[in-house]
Amino acid sequence: MKHYLVIQLARFGDLIQTKRLLATLCAREKASVHLCVDRSLEALARLVYPQVTVHAIAAHGTGLKGSEAVRAMLLDNTNVFGDLKSVDFQSVYNLNFSPLNFRLAALFDSERVEGYAWKDGQELTTLWPSMAMRWSDYRRLGINLVDFWAGYCPDMIAPASVNPEASPKGGGIGVVLAGRESRRSLPVGTLARTLTTLASSSKTIRIQLLGGASEVAAGQAVIKELPPKLQAITSNLAGKTGWADLIDVVGSLDMLITPDTGTMHLAAHLGTPVRAFFLSSAWCFETGPYGKGHTVYQASTECLPCLEIQECPYETKCLSGFNAPEFQRFLVTNKSAHAPDGMIAFHSEFDALGQTYTSYAGVDKQAEQRIAFRTFIQQYLTGSGGDVSDFTQILADRIYRDRDWITQLNPNATLGI
Amino acid sequence: MKNLRILVVLPLYGGSLPIGRYVASALKEDGHIVEVFEAPEFNSAYESLKSLKVTTDRLDYLQNTFLNVVSQAVLAKTETFEPDMVLCMAQAPLNHQALKRLRRDGVTTAMWFVEDYRLFTYWKSFAPMYDIFAVIQKEPFFDELTAIGQPNALYLPLAAQPDFHKPMELTSVEQRKFGSTVSFMGAGYPNRRIAFRELVNHDFKIWGSDWDGDHVLEPLVQLKGARVTPEECVKIFNATTINLNLHSSIQADELVTYGDFVNPRTFELAACGACQLVDKRSLLSEAFAEDELATFSSMKELLEKIDYFQNKPDECAMYAGKAKARVLADHTYKARMRTLIDFTTQRIEGWPKQIASPAALDTIPPELAANIRSLLGKLGLPENVTFDDLVWAVRQQQGTLSELDTAVLFLDEWQKLYSKRH
Repeated sequence: MKHYLVIQLARFGDLIQTKRLLATLCAREKASVHLCVDRSLEALARLVYPQVTVHAIAAHGTGLKGSEAVRAMLLDNTNVFGDLKSVDFQSVYNLNFSPLNFRLAALFDSERVEGYAWKDGQELTTLWPSMAMRWSDYRRLGINLVDFWAGYCPDMIAPASVNPEASPKGGGIGVVLAGRESRRSLPVGTLARTLTTLASSSKTIRIQLLGGASEVAAGQAVIKELPPKLQAITSNLAGKTGWADLIDVVGSLDMLITPDTGTMHLAAHLGTPVRAFFLSSAWCFETGPYGKGHTVYQASTECLPCLEIQECPYETKCLSGFNAPEFQRFLVTNKSAHAPDGMIAFHSEFDALGQTYTSYAGVDKQAEQRIAFRTFIQQYLTGSGGDVSDFTQILADRIYRDRDWITQLNPNATLGI
Repeated sequence: MKNLRILVVLPLYGGSLPIGRYVASALKEDGHIVEVFEAPEFNSAYESLKSLKVTTDRLDYLQNTFLNVVSQAVLAKTETFEPDMVLCMAQAPLNHQALKRLRRDGVTTAMWFVEDYRLFTYWKSFAPMYDIFAVIQKEPFFDELTAIGQPNALYLPLAAQPDFHKPMELTSVEQRKFGSTVSFMGAGYPNRRIAFRELVNHDFKIWGSDWDGDHVLEPLVQLKGARVTPEECVKIFNATTINLNLHSSIQADELVTYGDFVNPRTFELAACGACQLVDKRSLLSEAFAEDELATFSSMKELLEKIDYFQNKPDECAMYAGKAKARVLADHTYKARMRTLIDFTTQRIEGWPKQIASPAALDTIPPELAANIRSLLGKLGLPENVTFDDLVWAVRQQQGTLSELDTAVLFLDEWQKLYSKRH
């Protein structure tokens, strides 16, 4: 039996986006796959990945303080760390660039850690995540996070086998009220208008508003702005769903309307069609819904994608396309001519590398460069494909560094070959 | 005095290297959190530049650039470790730029210049750049340091490290290899070469390097003049009946020079409880009383005393016992470091910075105290160690860490990430 550990200490969405990596490891012969997550996500991890052994630790900052935090870190975590140390892991995939992940890696031989390692008190970043930092200037081109994490394994499973192709389940429309970053979500008025259009055009039988306890008021505000006919079929489930309930609800929907959220990734995992609104720092080529059958309305103003931590100097102009009157018409007709300015509409597709998106309205100016970029990355990961062009030469100069060329004994060493 | 964080910067190589290691060891022994910059690990790369067969200006550029990288490495370590003091041994690889940066950043620096200032004159360029400049000589060196802008000169003679320089039982093989009636351990300076020609008829062994080209002494030189490790030195000291200790001089006119500083061998031999005959030095009487060390002031006296001690082993042992007691009482590296720290406290206002930080044991739930106490024991830390210092001590460990070690590091980073929220 070969044991593999994936350390995923980030949030809900990141947990779901680890699926292709976990599925790849599970598909290996005689594999025993372990997953370390924050304890707030333990139940979800067990539901979503029943074939994986889940280890839960206290890592997130919410709900812990003072001596309680110290107790959780030193007592509870020590016990789990002991469990992890007792397993002879063939490889440890440590996915998050965080000081917590570096410290956790201290349990393991650095030679067996991919991603963020610890050797004799020194933090080390292996080649693959280092490269990702180098192409951060090319975010518009992008590689989906699901594929990036799977890229640690050269034998990653086919992208089409990760999630089921999306199809309506008969349970009406679900609406995610907000993402973690408010700038990435549609304001209540815009969301209510959009929901009204989609619900009316699809003659939905039921609307379920989803979110945490902090979104209860937002849900009430959305309902208030809906026509009475839709109000009558709408329930506000914000703050009322546990992980199992959420999976039940999302898995039953005909469509999920959402910004870039964990619930969106859950829908993709379950094969529920997603209509996603991407703006601000959300860029679908990085974190769009994984699988076939999803639609993304991507804001495309020149300033995108921006950084969450920086204030917007342009009064969130990327929202203008969603507020434009023609957007409601476009939602119904899906005709390119009706698409508002500053927006591109995409359908989700696959290429050899993984998830990509094909525009059906609006101009995707980077489409050609994106193909070149993805081919370049695909060739790096697998040795297949690729060609020589001016742009790939620019990429080579930008992404390959002196020390890779000079000191990397085996270029594929960090990929587990 | 609180437990300090001290970064000890070793030289690339040379005589101050073992002393730097003793210093680090002594500081740890006294409960300080010590990080060592292992400059010797960079030395082979530096030396390899000399085999390039390039123009001298190009070599000069490469060497300077390399040393700048090493200096930057010290700065990076300082930035992460946040020491109360960066303690540099003579020839520590910190260039002017790096020393300026440390001063700008308010990092207290000290140099222990364990060299003869008359021969190793580069101090004139570097001494003013350190906050504290400890030396092994006195006037007129102090005046000269003051004149060039170094007001914090400290006389800090060399010493011994008692857990290393100590009496030891030797095997019969070691006794045969390292033992003799008379021996000398050290480099072949001109005054020693001349002096030791008068000892060729004794059971005399010479250890150390730079003795080549002397046909008279060549048969007496051991290990073909190879460098002797500090561990081998201790065995030689223990295996020898009478250890000669003649301070070096580059001139051969006067074999006994009555110089000022006392060499480390004086203290090391004493700590080993070994019998030694040492030439008189102007600063020796401050370190040892006349009945604690047997001295000589001429070759004639040296020869007489060798004969005398050969016939009076008890007297030899009496000197050795007294010298050892004196070293253990006053001349250990631990004592020297206490002196340095006290001096720095007096001279540098507000040093060390007092940051209110509770002991690690006071901040954890009672049911975890036993585990943390056990961890402190494993790391050799006092019970009042702060959590920050515990974290650093855990980080200093090599290899994979235990679950509790990892949990301590994890908690520290968690608190840094989220403490603002609470």
